[in-house]
Amino acid sequence: MKEFLATFETFFNNGIFYYAMFVMGSYVVLTLLSAVEMNGYMKKNSYVNYREILVSPLAPSVSILAPAYNEEATIIENIRSLLSLHYGNYEVIIINDGSKDNSFQRMFDYYQLEKVDFAVNYQIQCKEIRGVYKSKLPSFSKLTVVDKVNGGKSDALNAGINVAAKDLILCIDVDCIVQEDALLKLAKPYLEEKYQVIATGGVVRIANSCRVEDGKLVEVNMPKNLWPRFQVLEYIRAFLMGRMAWSRLNGLLIISGAMGLFDKNIVIKVGGYDDSTVGEDMELVVRMRRYMYEQDRRFKVVYIPDPLCWTEAPGDLQILGRQRNRWTRGTIETLWMHKDLFFNPRYGILGMLSYPYWFFFEWLAPIIEFLGVSIFILLALMGNINWEFSLILISMVYFFSLALSTVAILFEEMSYQQYTKGGDLVKLLLAAFLEPILYHPLTVYWSIKGNIHKFIGKNNWGTMTRKGFKQETPSDEVRQQTTTI
Amino acid sequence: MNFFQTIFNYIRETYTDRLFYFPSNIRISLLIILFCVIAVLELYLYISFRRAQQIKRKRDEAKWKEYIDNMLANLVIFDESDSTEDIVNHFYPKMSKLPLRNPVVNQVLTIEILTYHKNFTGKIQEVLSILYRRLNLDKKSKKKINNKNWEVKIEGIREANEMRITEMAGEIIKYTDDENGLLRMEAQAAYIKLSEQYPFRFLDRAQERILDWHQVVLFEIITKNKKLTIPSFSHWLRSSNDTVVMLCLKLIDHFMQFDAAEEVQRLLKHHNPKVVKKSVEIIGKLELADAEKHMFEVYFDQPEDIKLDILNSLGKISSGNYNDFLSSRIYSSDPKIKMEALYAIKRNPNYGEAKLREIYKQTTLENQALIKHVLDHRIKH
Repeated sequence: MKEFLATFETFFNNGIFYYAMFVMGSYVVLTLLSAVEMNGYMKKNSYVNYREILVSPLAPSVSILAPAYNEEATIIENIRSLLSLHYGNYEVIIINDGSKDNSFQRMFDYYQLEKVDFAVNYQIQCKEIRGVYKSKLPSFSKLTVVDKVNGGKSDALNAGINVAAKDLILCIDVDCIVQEDALLKLAKPYLEEKYQVIATGGVVRIANSCRVEDGKLVEVNMPKNLWPRFQVLEYIRAFLMGRMAWSRLNGLLIISGAMGLFDKNIVIKVGGYDDSTVGEDMELVVRMRRYMYEQDRRFKVVYIPDPLCWTEAPGDLQILGRQRNRWTRGTIETLWMHKDLFFNPRYGILGMLSYPYWFFFEWLAPIIEFLGVSIFILLALMGNINWEFSLILISMVYFFSLALSTVAILFEEMSYQQYTKGGDLVKLLLAAFLEPILYHPLTVYWSIKGNIHKFIGKNNWGTMTRKGFKQETPSDEVRQQTTTI
Repeated sequence: MNFFQTIFNYIRETYTDRLFYFPSNIRISLLIILFCVIAVLELYLYISFRRAQQIKRKRDEAKWKEYIDNMLANLVIFDESDSTEDIVNHFYPKMSKLPLRNPVVNQVLTIEILTYHKNFTGKIQEVLSILYRRLNLDKKSKKKINNKNWEVKIEGIREANEMRITEMAGEIIKYTDDENGLLRMEAQAAYIKLSEQYPFRFLDRAQERILDWHQVVLFEIITKNKKLTIPSFSHWLRSSNDTVVMLCLKLIDHFMQFDAAEEVQRLLKHHNPKVVKKSVEIIGKLELADAEKHMFEVYFDQPEDIKLDILNSLGKISSGNYNDFLSSRIYSSDPKIKMEALYAIKRNPNYGEAKLREIYKQTTLENQALIKHVLDHRIKH
């Protein structure tokens, strides 16, 4: 028995160690790649005058699709903000996904809507569209409201695609704060890449504690609450480092559901969003990519590092846990639906690199980490632990994580420097110290929970409670909106 | 204190005396820890130093900007009756006393002169141009254009372009077909503005692609510049570079160059579908009735998006020769084709809507819905 335990311990130690080395090595490579990509992007775009796209009749046309479900508190303000984006050729399509509150009535009254004889071409399956509405007021001629039977976010987006008249579709969360120049920046890659661009995404930032006026972000602040602050760090790391590197490799698998611009024709050809998964944003990109490979067409999925969209991050651990649980289930579902991609050379970088990366490092990493910690505790209870070595190994992971987060903060400093106050920078640096101890274990726990829920068939979206963006003004009543997304 | 001393001694011993006696994975881990700690400390120092430097630079820039701004504001409100030379002679001594060797001052002055030059016209613009040259800033721009670094070259080209230093056109043309796309685009944009003789000469020699984005920029410059003599762009429609053909088609479209009609019709058989699509669009926009039969000939071999454009163009021409063809399209299995054909019929100002109402009475429910959609003026096509 002792011999077996000793062999197991050696195997366990080496296995975990080499896996950790592999993960860390991949992070180093991704960091280097994203540094190259970021540097190139910053140089290239410092000469760009986006006004030229704004006024040009040659700019691609865009349909903005924003599903709304029980958004009566903010819907008018959100639509107004979308209608004031800086872009020439675009339309705004709000899809009322069978809201149970007064969302539709508020839109109907405020924008003076009337039903039009719109013949919907059901190119993608979706629940019944009850009516298409346009405003009687010429100043809102860009606005179209689709009223449909409730079917969830994916179904609502599919309905919107069926109604969209433009070449590109921007799928967004209606409650996000979109930067005024977001469309200009997202549309530019469609005009400048050598190969066909099928999707572009931008950086999503966290708006907690930021000052918002009339649906526009006017002051960026570091979240006061610790959990959103950790998410700021996490988002900077994921967007500025991870996704930029994958964009460089043309191996990007996900465009954030909060905001993504897609080639409408390709989305229609692949059948639109899949409403059977909770990871519809990732699944769509994977399906679009595999379609392009199957058609032998050269293409690109581009990520741009500009902060284009600001969203409220969950400040409550329970809600954050639900969100992460859902993300894990979405990853599992997408990986399972496209399992034939695994190391399949037919799909180039998608099959040989992106998919295996997501499999080994996004899905498997928390499981291995959880197993590692569990076995460590078990061995410790049995007195079979070399505490000095364990401490060294744990310290290695901690300091590597700290170094990685610090590099991410450096990227932020050298690029967009959104947190200009010295105090905010210090808070961010401190968060990097605490994150591996306080926040990371929770993300592992939520991920494990997500795996368990997936395998026992618990597949709901979960309830997401948002405080709204007006919380910074003390006199304002804090809005509570409950959105099932 | 004792505790920290103990930890310090432990770390020192671990890295000096004991390091080589650890198993390999622990040794590697210790080296990674050391590397990460040093990296984090260095990054912290660098970030702090960078912030401090940034604050100082911003302060300097703000100070000089205010000073230079005041100077240029005086220039703007100068007496109208004074001659250009008088104004220059008044301001030059003050400006030449600025510490131009200081890169911050040099940069702020250049940017401010460029900004004022962009925002004003007439005498003020002329004065700024002369001051720019007298202060030898034009020589600095020329030096930048010949720099090895492409970013600096672009900066120089932009300065020469804004200040209209026409003699630099000769320097710039060599970059109009450069491998670096950004440099190429900046050079082309500047060359159009600076070349007095033949601003479109770069199109003759363009081997590199003019990306769609570059076409947007060039299109804006060409269509907004009222001083430019617009040539007949059909001259380049036989270029072997498809992107040159595309740019010229967009310009033919904008300037409504009817003399290009024959060449545009020829492009309906071009190998590049983008060129065919744009040619169809132009035929519709210019209402080239002679080209209808050519579009009809190629219609059945085209992908869906070009078919839609052909139907749209037939609608715009509305000669009446292809009414039967358009009516027959509403029996297509593709709803987009049906819809476009209905819109094409509707476009005929004499009988379009009446014809649709007539079809409505005899057709299927699905087509009736489409006709109602087409006839609803609140829905934009």
